[in-house]
Amino acid sequence: MNSDNDQRVAGRGIRQTMSSLHTWTGLLLGWILYAMFLTGTVSYFKDELSQWMRPELARLSEIPDQAVVAQRIADEFGKTLAGASQWSMRLPDARNNSVYAFWRTSARSPGQRGFGEAYFDPATGGKVTSRETLGGDFFYRFHFQFHYMPVVWGRWIAGAAAMFMLVAIVSGVITHKKIFVDFFTFRWGRRQRSWLDAHNALAVFGLPFHLMITYTGLVTLMALYMPWGERVAFKTPAERQQLAAELSAFIPPGKPSGQNVPLASVEEMVRQAQERWGRDQVGRVNAVHPGDAAARVAVTRGDPGRVSMSPQYLEFEGATGKLLAVRENVGGAAETRGVFYALHLGRFSDTVTRWLYFLVSFMGTAMVGTGLVMWTVKRRQQLPDPDRPYFGFRLVERLNIAGIAGLSVAMTAFLWGNRLLPHPLEGRAELEIHLFFIVWALTLLHALARPARSAWVEQLWAASVLLSLLPVLNAMTTQRPLWHSLAEGDWIFAGMDIMCWALAWLHAALAMRTARQSAVSPSRSKANRRAPVTVASSEGAG
Amino acid sequence: MSHLLAFALCLAGFAALAFAVHRQQRDIFGRSLPLATTWVLRVLGACALLLALGVLVAWHGWSLGLVMFSGHTSLVSGIVYCMLVGYSRIRPRALPRSAPR
Repeated sequence: MNSDNDQRVAGRGIRQTMSSLHTWTGLLLGWILYAMFLTGTVSYFKDELSQWMRPELARLSEIPDQAVVAQRIADEFGKTLAGASQWSMRLPDARNNSVYAFWRTSARSPGQRGFGEAYFDPATGGKVTSRETLGGDFFYRFHFQFHYMPVVWGRWIAGAAAMFMLVAIVSGVITHKKIFVDFFTFRWGRRQRSWLDAHNALAVFGLPFHLMITYTGLVTLMALYMPWGERVAFKTPAERQQLAAELSAFIPPGKPSGQNVPLASVEEMVRQAQERWGRDQVGRVNAVHPGDAAARVAVTRGDPGRVSMSPQYLEFEGATGKLLAVRENVGGAAETRGVFYALHLGRFSDTVTRWLYFLVSFMGTAMVGTGLVMWTVKRRQQLPDPDRPYFGFRLVERLNIAGIAGLSVAMTAFLWGNRLLPHPLEGRAELEIHLFFIVWALTLLHALARPARSAWVEQLWAASVLLSLLPVLNAMTTQRPLWHSLAEGDWIFAGMDIMCWALAWLHAALAMRTARQSAVSPSRSKANRRAPVTVASSEGAG
Repeated sequence: MSHLLAFALCLAGFAALAFAVHRQQRDIFGRSLPLATTWVLRVLGACALLLALGVLVAWHGWSLGLVMFSGHTSLVSGIVYCMLVGYSRIRPRALPRSAPR
């Protein structure tokens, strides 16, 4: 009996300890985590978002033959990038309507970067003159390296936040003692209990995803966080090159011969890859020393349909088009990393699976958001004077407003900037990003200046209005309004408009709910806490 | 097609599992169901979920199938949850333990 009691006491002890750990690891970097989660969620549609943000690029009604397009762009490079030491092109596919290419030039004169990038029209091979924007890549890059700081710093901060998240998930599972009994439980109208139930539901339903996405997020940058094993194991340049070939479609740079020889048919090279992997399954074509007798070309397989980011590519001799090597397998450790990487990015997904990724990731965002709000809901009831909370409470409360509602406003402002900033304009892409951060900073000032409830309601309404009017702005500033998109079957533009309205509705519902709650008197709140309006049984979670 | 079938099976599976929980039984039916019925619901629910996994794996292979199954189960459990909350909001008087507004 005593032993049972001891065990129970010990059990409560570990659960309480884990509860505290869960609370503080969730809170301390919670706003960063929320921003990483939300921008990461949006990034599952980064290619579609990029298309929406470059409305000048025509929609592809069907994917063009990648072999023909590759030859067309290679010919263009032959004419315009004669001095390039390397170029790489991403071919059009089901999610990309243009060819993105970057290149390096060997001769760098002062003031030149030695690096260039551009988008090309797959139909003509010419450069496209779309508005300058980072498109969906801004949210994608922001979610793991932020902005206005060295990339490495940003990635370290993201890694620390992810590690906190991992600790919060594990400690949360230990804390939540009735996972199966409470699986479907929601107690309406009980304020703190309701927030806890919502937080638990969002956490438990998506638990496999939350664990996977956090752990694999750390794996994607593991070489940065834990470089020592790699440094010990791979010491010579040859070993490092071998490692690089396991992780990406890497062609050893070698030295140019100095003898000019035009590239053999790139179309034929891509054709061989198509025969092996399928018509639309080629991802990129990379060339090193194109136009030289020592040129090498790698044709890499695209991401769709395979849950691995391990490189698969064919390597050709550039001058003759002779197939030199077929690389379709890597070692066990590299493949493990490739699978984790692919699971995180989800680029193998068909449309339905991408939506599943998006929606479950959105649940994860809401889980972080409800956790942050719960911190204040729980402590508000214990405040000696609710009108004069202590500094820490006020800080968390205001950061929650700007971090959650304010981020929605800022992200939507970024899209408004894309439509409203003139084009062409020097530094336009960076201006869009500045606008995002200026608006986000303004929401923080607003949250500091206004009473908390009012700030929540006003910012949620602001996000709702901006989102609901974005399709209108799109109709006024581009040739691709909703009715046109629907008639053309352009589901990227139509989907974006419809999604804006769905999110506008969500923000409006949250704003109205928050406003209604603020109208309820404290005595009514106490009565509600004693007698829940509905459901779920009067049993406590314990 | 495989997604639709898997979605429907997951929906049926989670609905059965929800009805197999005593708290939800009391909230929806006003009483606990017999133990045998509860066990049948549990088994049916588990079978429906396994069948959904089987459908996705058969159609897309283990790697893609498992990822899709995880996505479907997460989403559908959320949908069943929202339906239960919505039901209890729409018909609060049917619930014996509910308090008046």
